Order: sequence, then C-alpha cells, then structure tokens
Amino acid sequence: MFGLSRRTLVGYLYVAPLMLWLALTIAYPLLSTVVLSLQDIRIIGTEGSFVGLDQYRAIFASDTFWSSAGRSLIWVLGNGLVQTLAAFIAALLLREAFPGVRIARVWIILSWIVPTVVVVIIWRWMLSASGGIVNYALVSLGVAERPIGFFSTSTSAFASVVLINAWRMFPFMTVIMLAGLMRIPEELYESAAVDGANAWQKFWYITLPGLQPVLFVIGLLGTLISFNTFDVIWLLTGGGPAGGTTTLPVLIYDTAFKQYRLSRAAAMSVVTGVLLLVFALTFIRLMSPRTDAQEAAL
Amino acid sequence: MKRSRRASFVLIVGLAALLFIVIVPFYWIFSSSIKIPQEIIARTPTLIPQSFSLQHYDKLMNSSQFPVYLRNSTLVALATMGITLLLCTPAAYALYRMRLPGRQTLFRIILITYAFPGILLLIPLYFMLSSLRLIDTLYALVIVNVTFAAPFAVWLLQAFFQTIPAEIEESAALDGANRLQILLRIIIPLTAPGLASVAIFAFITSWTEYMFSSVLIISEQHRTVPVGLAGIVGQYQVDWGLLLAGASVTTLPVLVLFALVGRYFIAGLTAGAVKS
Repeated sequence: MFGLSRRTLVGYLYVAPLMLWLALTIAYPLLSTVVLSLQDIRIIGTEGSFVGLDQYRAIFASDTFWSSAGRSLIWVLGNGLVQTLAAFIAALLLREAFPGVRIARVWIILSWIVPTVVVVIIWRWMLSASGGIVNYALVSLGVAERPIGFFSTSTSAFASVVLINAWRMFPFMTVIMLAGLMRIPEELYESAAVDGANAWQKFWYITLPGLQPVLFVIGLLGTLISFNTFDVIWLLTGGGPAGGTTTLPVLIYDTAFKQYRLSRAAAMSVVTGVLLLVFALTFIRLMSPRTDAQEAAL
Repeated sequence: MKRSRRASFVLIVGLAALLFIVIVPFYWIFSSSIKIPQEIIARTPTLIPQSFSLQHYDKLMNSSQFPVYLRNSTLVALATMGITLLLCTPAAYALYRMRLPGRQTLFRIILITYAFPGILLLIPLYFMLSSLRLIDTLYALVIVNVTFAAPFAVWLLQAFFQTIPAEIEESAALDGANRLQILLRIIIPLTAPGLASVAIFAFITSWTEYMFSSVLIISEQHRTVPVGLAGIVGQYQVDWGLLLAGASVTTLPVLVLFALVGRYFIAGLTAGAVKS
C-alpha cells in the first residue's frame, strides 16, 4: 500500500497512540490558546466576544508583564549559575571512587524526586523567623543579631526562593554532568600529566571541552525547566512580597485564577511561548555542539 | 590513581558537605515530626528528639482529610502509570527497534514535548477539560499527568531498548513470531528494569504534581496530597507537627519506590542525556 511495507505500517501503528495523545493534549491546546487570547473571557463558562488584539495591546502596555519577564530572566540566570556551579562541584566529588559511591550516585537525586510541596514545607520550617533552625544557628553563632525574615523583603525573598529551587534542582544537573564527566577518557588526563599540565590546564583543555555536549543539554533543558518553575515560588511567597517574586508563570496563573482574566492570561501564554521559542532557537543555533551527538543517538 | 593526602582531605570534606546539604533537611522534618508540640516549637531546637510521640500521625490519619487526599493521589498515580506504560512501550519499541522512516522527526517531537513548559498549557487544558465536563474529576488529573510523564518515559526507555542485540529478534522472527509476539515475549521481559523505572517515574510525576491539580480540582473530596498539604501550609496558624507528619508520609512512597528502581532510573536518565 503506497509503497509502505506491512512492517512500517505496524511501526507507525505502535507510535500512533502516543502521538495522538500528545497532539490532543499539547498541540491542540496550544492552538486553542491563540483563539482564547483574541477574546475577552474572564471566567470559565461565560461567553466571550471577539476583541482582536486588545489583550495583546494591554499586555504590551502593562509594566507588570515586562517586570515579570525581567524577573523570569534573572530567575533563569540565577538558577542557572547556582545550579551549574553546585552540580559541577557535586559531580567532581561523585566521580571519585570511595566506599558507597554507587549508592551516593543514585540517592543524590533525592531532593529532585520528592514532591515540591514537601520541599516547601522543609524550607518554610527551617527558615521560619520564629523558631526556625537556620535562624537559631545564625543568631547563636552571632552572624545575625535577630532572626531574619527571609521572605519579608522582595530581594531576600527572591534570593531565598532561587536558592531553595536550586537545592531542589541541582541533583538532576549533577547526574547529567557526572555522566558527561565519566565519558571523558582517563588517558587524556594521564597524558596531559605526562606533558606537565597543571590542574587548571587540565580543566580548561580537557574537562570543559569534554563536557560541551552535556552542557548544551543542561543549558537548553535546564533553562526551560527553570523558567517553568511555578509551585516552589507560588507556595513559598505567592509571588510577593509586593510582586517581588512574580515571574511569568506566577503572573499567568495569578491572572487566570486569582484575577479571573482567562483571555488575558492566554495572551500572556502566547507571548511567553514566542519568547521561549526565540530563546530555544537562538540557543540551538549558537551553542549546538559540533559533534554529531544527535545523529549518533539513533 | 592514588590520591594524595590533601586530595583525600578535600574529598572527604566535600562529600560530608554534600551529604549534609542533601540529607539533613529531610532528617530535620522526619525527626521533628515525632516530637511533642512543645519540643517542636522550643526555643532551642533539639537535634536528637527528646520526646517521642505519634500524635501528629494519629491526628493526620484519624482526624484530618489526609487519608482522602492519599486515596486520590494513589488512584491518579496508578492510572497515570498504567496509561503511560501502555502508550510508551509500543512507541519506544517502534522508535528504537524498528527502522521506521521518519523516526528521527518523531523522536525530536517527543524531545520537544518533554522540554515544553507546562505553564503554557495550563489555560487551554483547563478550557478543554472544562468543555469535556472533567473539571473536579480525577480523570482530568490522569490526562494531564500522562501528558507530562510520557515524553520523558520514551526518553528513559531508549537506553534499555538499544542494548538488546538484534540477533535475538531476528531468530525469533525466523521461528515465525510476529511483531506483537516479539514485543510481548522477548522485548518486554528483557527491558523489565526500564519499564519498571518508567512506571515509577510516571507514578512520581503524578504524585508530586501541584499546579494543574490546584485548578482542576475544586471540591475537598477530590483533592490530591500536594494540594491538600498546601492548604495546611496556607493556614494562618500553621500546625507544624501535622504538616511535618504530612510531609513525611508524602515522601515515604517516593523513597520506597525509588529504592526499588533508582539505579535503573539514573542509568536511563544519564544514557538519554549523554546521547541526545
């Protein structure tokens, strides 16, 4: 039939249910977001009328949207920096051989697999201004004079949420980075040592280039995953104080389900999607590793 | 390579710090959840519990809505697990074991959906599920969770499917087995660890989901654990004992499941990341 063998047809038949599922729950909703964004629906169940690009005009004119976009950018950069650094150090440690290393390489991921709400409870409890252990330690060590309200000012709340999210996410990065490190052949280091290379030179000329494919994956996936963070922020600060931790996902959620402006939130989703697409394409274009790792995958 | 003394020292200190950062927060909630309320809020925190009491667990299980949340979360997670396996096993088989024309494109589509930010789907999925009259049902949560678990599940399976030698399949085909028989009798048993880690990944994805559950579920009796616990966090007077017990009970299934397949899960994760 049409030159397709029976075997090929069976193959497509096996992939079809998954593809259909993804089409119905991702592709179709995406298209319907655009339709929703051209209307003025506020709450579900009410009829909206067509308003053209009004929602977009409102967004482009609003400071809230752009300041949230700015915060998202800082959020992604801050998380990227802290997580990459922490993950790199952790991966270097776990590359070594020591008793229990196999267990450590698996269980390092613990904070990534527990529910976010548990992460939130842990840190609300530890950072509490009244009786939290972190404040107790800071005060008794004389680092702080009185308990610090970590979530009480915009800046400290933002920094706290970045660190807490990095605590949750860096193990995931560690596992991937470790896999990258393990792929660098030991002989490269040995011959560099014979040539008299110091630790810094080994890092710069062997480790970093060797990690490039993995850094590409981490850069792309990590950025998108970080960007998408909602529950950690929402449950820790609700986007406050004074909007200081409102990133785009928080703003979209808040606009849709607290302010009841669904169409406005849909338009924000569309603009956000476009911004992310531009980022992803630029990143792939500029940073794609020269090796044909992608082709080798299949 | 033998380590110098200084290198060993750095390694030990570094590992101790890592262990501290990753484990201590969990120890702190577990150990606090079995203290009596006076000790939980004591001015001087006690690193080793001085009292022992299961009163918070008793309250959680016998006079709160938590058992209802647990039941809902379990049902949703099991259904998510089953559907994810049914969708992804044949798809992964076709993608990784059959020389399917266009499989690269299909594989890329799946990768893109994996990295796709869920927030962009929140509003349209809410509309879609509302027009299907699925708001405030557990079905809505299953649908959403499968969508977010499936792409990564296919990715995880790559490592497990690609290690099977082609000869095994070829000789089975010579013996007259068809594709379905090969999949069921040969591939599935050989990839059992991979399938187990996918099952548990799907379970955990569903178990931890908060954002969609918080808008798709309205009534108390359909709430899942993360939304239920978040409700307690948001109260004016936080009952820390109850909350810490709740967090501990919520973490437990994740720990048990991960202890069973964690090794394979990490193997699949790293193989996927390094290759693609």
